[in-house]
Amino acid sequence: MEVEDLRQHISRSFNADIESLHNSVLTMGGLVEEQLDRAIEALTQRDSALGLQVAHDDVKINRMEVSIDEDCSRILATRAPAAGDLRLIVAIIKAITDLERIGDEAEKIGRLAARLAGVERPTTNYRELRNLARHVKQMIRGTLDAFARLDANGALAVVKEDEVVDEDYESICRQAITFMMEDPRTISRGMDSMWLARSLERIGDHCKNICEYVIYMVHGKDIRYTSVEAIEAEVARAGEAAEAAS
Amino acid sequence: MPKRWAQQVALLAAWLAAAALLGLVFGAPAWWLTAALLLYVAYTLRYIYLLDRMLDGSKRVAPFATRGLWAEILARVDRIKTKSRNRKKKFHRVLREIRESTGALRDGGVILNGDNEIVWFNPAATWLLGLDPRTDIGRRIDNLIRHPEFVSYLAEPGGEGITIPSPKMESAWLALQIIPYGRDQRIAIVRNVTREIKLERTRRDFVANASHELRSPLTVLSGYLDTLADDEDLPESWQVPISEMLRQSNRMTRILSDLMELMHLESAESDASHDFVDVCTMLRLMVGDFDSATAEHPAVTLHLETDAALLGNETEVHSIFFNLVHNAVRFTPASGSVEVVWRAEDQGAALEVTDTGIGIPAEEIPRITERFYRVDPGRSRAMGGTGLGLAIVKHAVQRHNGVLEIASVEGEGSTFRCRFAPDRLVYRGGQAEAAV
Repeated sequence: MEVEDLRQHISRSFNADIESLHNSVLTMGGLVEEQLDRAIEALTQRDSALGLQVAHDDVKINRMEVSIDEDCSRILATRAPAAGDLRLIVAIIKAITDLERIGDEAEKIGRLAARLAGVERPTTNYRELRNLARHVKQMIRGTLDAFARLDANGALAVVKEDEVVDEDYESICRQAITFMMEDPRTISRGMDSMWLARSLERIGDHCKNICEYVIYMVHGKDIRYTSVEAIEAEVARAGEAAEAAS
Repeated sequence: MPKRWAQQVALLAAWLAAAALLGLVFGAPAWWLTAALLLYVAYTLRYIYLLDRMLDGSKRVAPFATRGLWAEILARVDRIKTKSRNRKKKFHRVLREIRESTGALRDGGVILNGDNEIVWFNPAATWLLGLDPRTDIGRRIDNLIRHPEFVSYLAEPGGEGITIPSPKMESAWLALQIIPYGRDQRIAIVRNVTREIKLERTRRDFVANASHELRSPLTVLSGYLDTLADDEDLPESWQVPISEMLRQSNRMTRILSDLMELMHLESAESDASHDFVDVCTMLRLMVGDFDSATAEHPAVTLHLETDAALLGNETEVHSIFFNLVHNAVRFTPASGSVEVVWRAEDQGAALEVTDTGIGIPAEEIPRITERFYRVDPGRSRAMGGTGLGLAIVKHAVQRHNGVLEIASVEGEGSTFRCRFAPDRLVYRGGQAEAAV
């Protein structure tokens, strides 16, 4: 599926509808990206005001989700789209739910960052968490880029990335548990940092979901609940088929 | 008809006439004529073939004959071909040079059409913005650069551009400006300003830290000076120096706290918060304070023409009003007057502080909001200002999406007006109209 595919309809207003829908999802994505950026910034800079601001701004994302949802229903009702268009709209309906959840996780991170700003911090200033956050930020960017470019291979790369994030999460948890056992005074801080890691890991999962929708949108293959290798083979096969067809 | 065409027609006629004559002499003229025409067709075909080859290939074909219509046509085609080949070479060279020079640029450039779709971009844009030349031509730029600030700037470009974090590089900052040109075309210029931003941050942090660190020793000094000044056993000769030292250390404390306030305002990135600020009560209290001050000062009158309240940061709003009123009082002789007006306007509301003081020379007005800028250094220092008041006012007003206007006539007085937009104001249940 190419960019031009969004403009192949005889009805120009349908083209415009589909395109503006695609755009507003990416605008929402941009907002989500910024929210996460600011939440992480609040954590590393100990900026409790910024953290609370992030938590407060989550309503913007919720509002966008509602309005995109409405647009989708309207297009489904009035245009009765088929094939690629239908896949696009189904994928968007699912993707915005995941985006909204990412927004919720960013809100949580903002709140936790605000709370941790006033607490003594470990000497590393949560280096592992910051690493994990950087990874997750890259995943979000890759996800939205793949969505913008309708790029199945880009989406696949993000899906693979999720394993690394899961591993990072595991090791942060183990580390936090060790610290808490050594010194019970750090338990509340340790719990908070575990929740932070948990939120970041969840964001990675949501990114992975969105990427699966992108692959579904581009190739029409449902690849949820399959192993990465199987997805890879599927995407390669679909890519070859598309090439042969063109 | 050009000469060569006449020649060609004459040649054909002569050829046919000769064939007809031979036919008459030897019999079967029709066959002779047919043979002559066939020969002529073969001759023409040969040249058409040559022409075709010539147009086709890049090699030059040696002309069959040096004279006549065909030779000339071939020569002309050859000339046109050489010319266009040379022109093409030239364009190629120019194009290559342009591409190389834009490629060597450290700043990114992206050309956009009327629908914000990417038409072209240079290599620097690839690594600054993370664009991909293979897939991104024809895509909307706000699909790829999704920072909310950029998206809203793209909708309404103007001003000095924006600074956003790079979507590609970790912790890098980009300054971005969109310039319209031609017919519905726009170019986005992207510059890496990470270094500038870092320097700016370092400067701000330095001033903030220095002010903070200087405060503690200063507190100790003024503490001792306070005690000394109150000491009744203090020798006569020490009283003047001690009280002067006390005054100066107080002034230093004020400068430091103003500096810290200014740094705080400058470093706050987003707009001021939207808390409810009761402007009327704040102004009443403030003017009351001035009136009850013991020192001699001009009369301060307050006119509340609207009961609009402001949505903003209370501390900052207080600091705007306080600095303006305080300035007016300081620069107005005790016989003069200061008028403070809070009024509704067509678009929003404005606070106006008018005094009958010394005024500001017209050429100094644009500069008086600069830090530590003084129209008359000796005099204003004697009046105990820090030189930061108006800089604070300007920043705080900007953070409330307002505008600060200054009008003044030297020797007659000045008017400072802060305008606030309607979306920063709240009115209490219809009383606003009544007040106006």
